Amino acid sequence: MGMANKGLRLAAVGAVTALALAACGGGSSSSSDSSASGSAGSGEPTKGGTIYYLTNAEQFDQIDPQRIYTGEDLAFFNGTIYRTLTAYKFSQDAAEGTSLVPDLATDTGTVADGGKTWSFTLVDGATFQDGAAITCADVAYGVSRTFATDVITGGPTYAISMLDIPTAEDGSSAYKGPYTGEGQDLFDKAVTCSADGKTVTFHLNKPVPDFNYTTTLLAFSPVPKASDTGEKYGDAPVASGPYLIESNKNGKGGKMVLARNPKWDAASDTYRGAFPDNWEVDYGIDPKVIDQRTMTSSGNDETAINLGVEPEQLAVVFKSPTEANPEYAGRAISTLDPYVRYFAINTQKVPNLKIRQAIAVALDREALRKNAGGDFSGDYADGVIKPNMGQDYAPTGMWDTLLGQKIPDTGDPEYAKKLIAESGEAAPTITFDYPQSPTADKAAAIVVDSLGKAGITAKPNPIEPGQYYGVVFDPEKAHELINAGWGPDWPNASTIIPELFTPTGGFNLSQYDNPEYNTAVDAAKVELDRAKQAKMWQDLNTQAMKDVVVVPTRFGREQRMTGTKIGPVYLWPAYGSWPYGQMYAGQ
Amino acid sequence: MSAYVVRRVISMILLLLLLTFVVFVLFSLLPTDPARLTCGKSCTPEIIEANRHRLGLDLPVIQQYWEYLKGIFVGRTFAKDSPDPVVCSAPCLGYSFKRGEEVFVLIKEGFPATFWLALGAFVLWLAAGISVGVYAALRRGKWQDKTVMGISLAGYSLPSFFLGLMAIFFIVIRLQLLPYPSYVSPFENPTQFLQTMILPWIVLAILYAAFYMRLTRNQMLEVLGEDYIRTARAKGLPERIVIRKHALRAGLTPIVTAAGLDLAGLLGGAIITESIFSLPGIGSLAVNSVNDADLPLIVGITLVTATFIIVANLIVDLLYAVIDPRVRLT
Repeated sequence: MGMANKGLRLAAVGAVTALALAACGGGSSSSSDSSASGSAGSGEPTKGGTIYYLTNAEQFDQIDPQRIYTGEDLAFFNGTIYRTLTAYKFSQDAAEGTSLVPDLATDTGTVADGGKTWSFTLVDGATFQDGAAITCADVAYGVSRTFATDVITGGPTYAISMLDIPTAEDGSSAYKGPYTGEGQDLFDKAVTCSADGKTVTFHLNKPVPDFNYTTTLLAFSPVPKASDTGEKYGDAPVASGPYLIESNKNGKGGKMVLARNPKWDAASDTYRGAFPDNWEVDYGIDPKVIDQRTMTSSGNDETAINLGVEPEQLAVVFKSPTEANPEYAGRAISTLDPYVRYFAINTQKVPNLKIRQAIAVALDREALRKNAGGDFSGDYADGVIKPNMGQDYAPTGMWDTLLGQKIPDTGDPEYAKKLIAESGEAAPTITFDYPQSPTADKAAAIVVDSLGKAGITAKPNPIEPGQYYGVVFDPEKAHELINAGWGPDWPNASTIIPELFTPTGGFNLSQYDNPEYNTAVDAAKVELDRAKQAKMWQDLNTQAMKDVVVVPTRFGREQRMTGTKIGPVYLWPAYGSWPYGQMYAGQ
Repeated sequence: MSAYVVRRVISMILLLLLLTFVVFVLFSLLPTDPARLTCGKSCTPEIIEANRHRLGLDLPVIQQYWEYLKGIFVGRTFAKDSPDPVVCSAPCLGYSFKRGEEVFVLIKEGFPATFWLALGAFVLWLAAGISVGVYAALRRGKWQDKTVMGISLAGYSLPSFFLGLMAIFFIVIRLQLLPYPSYVSPFENPTQFLQTMILPWIVLAILYAAFYMRLTRNQMLEVLGEDYIRTARAKGLPERIVIRKHALRAGLTPIVTAAGLDLAGLLGGAIITESIFSLPGIGSLAVNSVNDADLPLIVGITLVTATFIIVANLIVDLLYAVIDPRVRLT
């Protein structure tokens, strides 16, 4: 998912720009990174009680399962009201917490035809909140809603790009979704049900070795056709998980209350703990008041959770960017989020590698990080794959060896000048595109200043945030240096490397088109051996850094906390979220 | 008098029309593309164009404005030619596709909280401000005057976010004297309503009362020095009557002006106070609409707020004649 500016939750949840919408995916904290986390509360999971989810947001972006696309919301609704075919294991370990477990399916899927056919058999006893058994038809119907792109907006569209359904002349799918029914026979051939309605089979247009990761998305969760109200389905969705929506009132002072789903059969669901009796999402609370309440932790707030700590309280709650102060130990965490921030270098406009290297070398990354909020805002990045991606991450050596010598965090203007001299070109004049905000304006000044020391003339080009990606994706309008951020849709670098560095990717701001590289990416995409695939992503990440396709600046970090009686307290690597399905309110 | 009112109402309507036009044109000149905002990450140019057409954004600005204006009186239908048209009934101030709701309905939903907040605070600050102001004026230069004015200066200087956060932290979180603010209608649950509103009323009233104390005091001092007050006293009128009927009444005029405009301004939402006390009012709605670049909603709120101020202006002018017998409206 792309993001327009530096505020994570702000960008991902609040913001405006549809492009910055999605925050799903695979952040995580390796065990070494999570010294500030741990279990509060009574240690052992307890049934009962209410967990209060305090948020400044005044509503969920989406409640309709096919339209939810932010990481926190996917985790919350998946842990409480919607079941999916497969899901991520609850664990704070980077590798384990991004590994698959079956949920609505009996296993994590059966692959055939070299990765082009995937089947999932549904568990016995799984029902909707009205008691009706969940069948293959419900899963297929849910997936089909994705295709109604004029009604079901905002959600992931992997089904459209992956299922074996022909495209119409204008490039869109020949299937237009269940509401018009146009091309329904094509969809019915791509998603088939066994005679007993127990097994759903997806026929894909090319091998997708990690398709069972795609099926963790709520876009693949079942919807009973009879209850579908189209655009308004999110107002009264049908629950398949342990909770149902008892009431929901958006806005300040409003709340969503989840109560137990009496038809949910625990025997059919070994995945969720379903510990508290109720969940209460309290909307529209001022962030400063949320901090006061969670920190004080009295009354109901003992079992409250929040999604962020305001900058002015960071030093009160945390001793360091990885460790909480003793008073808050066990209930405050500061860990890596799913995002990598970087500057894309437009390789069409800056084709000379030496010049690209000079830009990377000259940038004062320390000043940039300080401007973004210092060490609480993140660690220095050495690539576009983060350490919390598990096996796909390996250090690239970007700042140690890749650029010819060790580069200090403050940049090395002298060495940059030398690289420009070697390039055979005059010192360049470049323009820096960025979505305007007060913080970004200061960052742009740092870019201009530090590049200037190396003789590179940089011109800042602030762009209105709502327009940002519309401009920089236009090859005519994009300039040489482009501010960007990206987080994966699920913990496989197949949602990073191909998106960022190949011409068919959706986020190739660098306009990078290297035939050799493209071939290697295609090979990695269809590699079925996950360990081998991980090594390929590591190499491709290093290769892109060596070619200075982007200048990675920061592996983002985030802080959040709970009241004194919540457990377990850790950032779930799968979505960079709370592990909702496993949380309990201590008594 | 009635000719005056008719004249004022006509000019008010013209002003509002002009205002809608300026606001509308201004917002249509913004570089934000509302059609782009209607769909997510996986948006294609085709979908954007389709939505642009659905929203009527492909029409010339003047025609869009005409449609908008017409919508206020007769309602309008978006996406007429799609299988799923969106009906926005009169008075249609536009449709927020971001929120899937008519702008008028959103504002109507936000209005009660803002109204009660403004009204409660208004009553408190006027009562406190005027009575203390008169008291200080009558004890001009004495220690009571100095104390009161010192306190008012302090109150005036306290930012509402600080005062509000302190109130919540000590009274609600630490001492737990009141439950967490959760707005309900006073007709639904009067107790919870009062528990929710009492702190925001006081916080807001402290800020405004400080100003009104000073204003009232200065007005009173000025009026008390007038010749007709001396005359009234010389006639042997009791001091109580002199103060109430002669001095205060004449001194009230600028206070009424200020109060009317302050109240109207508050009806457009008290942004910080609403945020801290989780009140679902127009102020919060305005902030969110700006954050979301929800253009129809921004335009709607701007219009409604401006209408309050223009109407308040008219009412204030009419009240002059009632309060101050020296004023004749012609």
